[in-house]
Amino acid sequence: MDIPRRYKSMFVLPGLITLVLIIIFPLLFTIRVSFSSWNVSSPQMDFVGVANYVTMLSDGRFWAGTLRLVLLAGGTVLIQYVLGFGLALLVWRNVLGRRLWRVLFLVPMMTTPVVMAAIWQTIFHESLGPVNDLLGRLGLEPVRWLTEAGPAVVALMTVEVWQWTPFMFLLMLAGLLSLPKEPFMAAAIDGAGAWRTFREVTFPLMAPVSVSAVIIRLIEASKLSDTVYVLTSGGPGSATESPGYYLYIRALKEQQTGYGGSLSLTYLILMIVTLTVVAALLARALKVKGDS
Amino acid sequence: MARLDLADVGHSYVPDAAEERWALKPLRLTFEDARTYALVGPSGCGKSTLLGILSGLVTPSRGRVLFDGADVTDLPTKARNIAQVFQFPVIYRSMTVYDNLAFPLRCRRWDRARIDAKVRQVAEALDLGGRLRQQARRLTADDKQLISLGRGLVRDDVAALLMDEPLTTIDPQLKFTLRRKIREITEQFRPTVIYVTHDQYEAMSFAQELLVMDGGRVVQQGTPEQLFEAPSSTYVGWFIGSPPMNFLTVEHAREGLSLGGRPLAAAWDAPQVTARPQVGIRPEYVRIVTEPGANTFPARLRGVQDHGAQRVLEVDLAGQPVRAKVPREDGVPGVEEFLVHLPRTKILPYVDGRLATLP
Repeated sequence: MDIPRRYKSMFVLPGLITLVLIIIFPLLFTIRVSFSSWNVSSPQMDFVGVANYVTMLSDGRFWAGTLRLVLLAGGTVLIQYVLGFGLALLVWRNVLGRRLWRVLFLVPMMTTPVVMAAIWQTIFHESLGPVNDLLGRLGLEPVRWLTEAGPAVVALMTVEVWQWTPFMFLLMLAGLLSLPKEPFMAAAIDGAGAWRTFREVTFPLMAPVSVSAVIIRLIEASKLSDTVYVLTSGGPGSATESPGYYLYIRALKEQQTGYGGSLSLTYLILMIVTLTVVAALLARALKVKGDS
Repeated sequence: MARLDLADVGHSYVPDAAEERWALKPLRLTFEDARTYALVGPSGCGKSTLLGILSGLVTPSRGRVLFDGADVTDLPTKARNIAQVFQFPVIYRSMTVYDNLAFPLRCRRWDRARIDAKVRQVAEALDLGGRLRQQARRLTADDKQLISLGRGLVRDDVAALLMDEPLTTIDPQLKFTLRRKIREITEQFRPTVIYVTHDQYEAMSFAQELLVMDGGRVVQQGTPEQLFEAPSSTYVGWFIGSPPMNFLTVEHAREGLSLGGRPLAAAWDAPQVTARPQVGIRPEYVRIVTEPGANTFPARLRGVQDHGAQRVLEVDLAGQPVRAKVPREDGVPGVEEFLVHLPRTKILPYVDGRLATLP
């Protein structure tokens, strides 16, 4: 190796060390741990083969959580996309006070997720919260927002949508503002109305931004756990448990390190595969690739 | 197709600006039905503003816009029934070529059979007939520009077809083909065409009538021949033609005019003695000669520009620069000093930058 090349590797070294320390080492360690029986009573790096993985296969709580995550993430991201795109369209063109609206819509995103979840917990509180109070005034029965399976899922999704729609709004607005004017002029000249213009001009032009925005949000949503922790702690029972939160219970609360390792590895691989497939399908469906 | 009238139309992008600073000074113009017009001029001369006023994308600060006598000044683009081709090809990315061409007709709720017939007719004329089922976004830039043009042509009732520098982004080789195609098409469908360009060749080869603009005004309107043979001002003479027209300062003599102390004969009477007159002559008409005679002046060679089939000789005539465009086969004079002939009928008089009298 000549001297300049050695210099080059010296410059890369700090980044490389950080990478090894925070990603590669933990990953390799997790792989190794997942083949051990390490738990709170016997913290040892033995080798038990695929025993943890066999246990995992019949762990209904993990698979139910994974399936729930698909619905939660898919559902909330879809709602966020529709709402975010809609709001962006509203303040895209000359609207009175559009600067104010643009900033106002971003406020929920600026709040810490845990604080946000805590506030929503108060809002959904069954006897003290304003939601049930409002329902009562309308003559409706109070809903057990956080202690009944169905409503708890709705509450969780509401918080997620509230918190992350602004992010979608921001991406979509940036996309809209970067669009060329000519296609819209051409559509006006061709005689297209508002709906046709949206369907044939705005939406296709926004397809690349849409795919990126949805994928970014899906990656984020797949990590869902802090909101669950604060809002419902996965309850009632395990009705709102996400894989991230279940992992936290098994690996950190119960200290089943070996089993936790196998769960997190499986979770990681599942997410990478799923998101890659989803990204490819979305890109194909919206004809994002193969453009000149 | 329609006749378009601009009655006292002017526009300023800055409210309350003095009229001298308006992007388009108030003017009166008529675009006759089924004729092709080109608006030429440098950037910022007001040609795009004028086009915007016609298409409805700009509402004029003053005046009325009439299409076939009907006032459309306050109508939006959609209600004006015009077609426009932009500088960059605009296609509907998610559609096939066929759907792109059919789109304006579907927006107008034509029935299927009528749409199909019209789309096929236009596609045939544009040589897109074999590619109707292709995704429009996979086509090359010039084919996409043809689609933009086609979307204007399928509507056979458009008031006018406006083109805003449609060939700017096209490859030079394809430009020639596409320009000829556009010309053929407009001759076949005979719409009223208003074509904006800053390329004088494009304008001259395309339009029946040219409008040369400068500083928000139309400085001359006429056929390509009129603009070439009799520019109304030194500006037009300079803007139209390559290389631009020669302008020489001349003196009043006892009889007529003189240039460098020698008499200069012209086909018109000398203008009044009020100002220093100039004469203009196209480089195409300046001749290199060997025999002395009338309107023949000694000149000195300063430089040669090679334009391929022609050469442009830059010569010094009585201390003033003159350019002569000569055929390649004539060669470059072997001597440094030679004679230049300015044909009597090709010399035009200019006073204060304006054409003084017509021959």
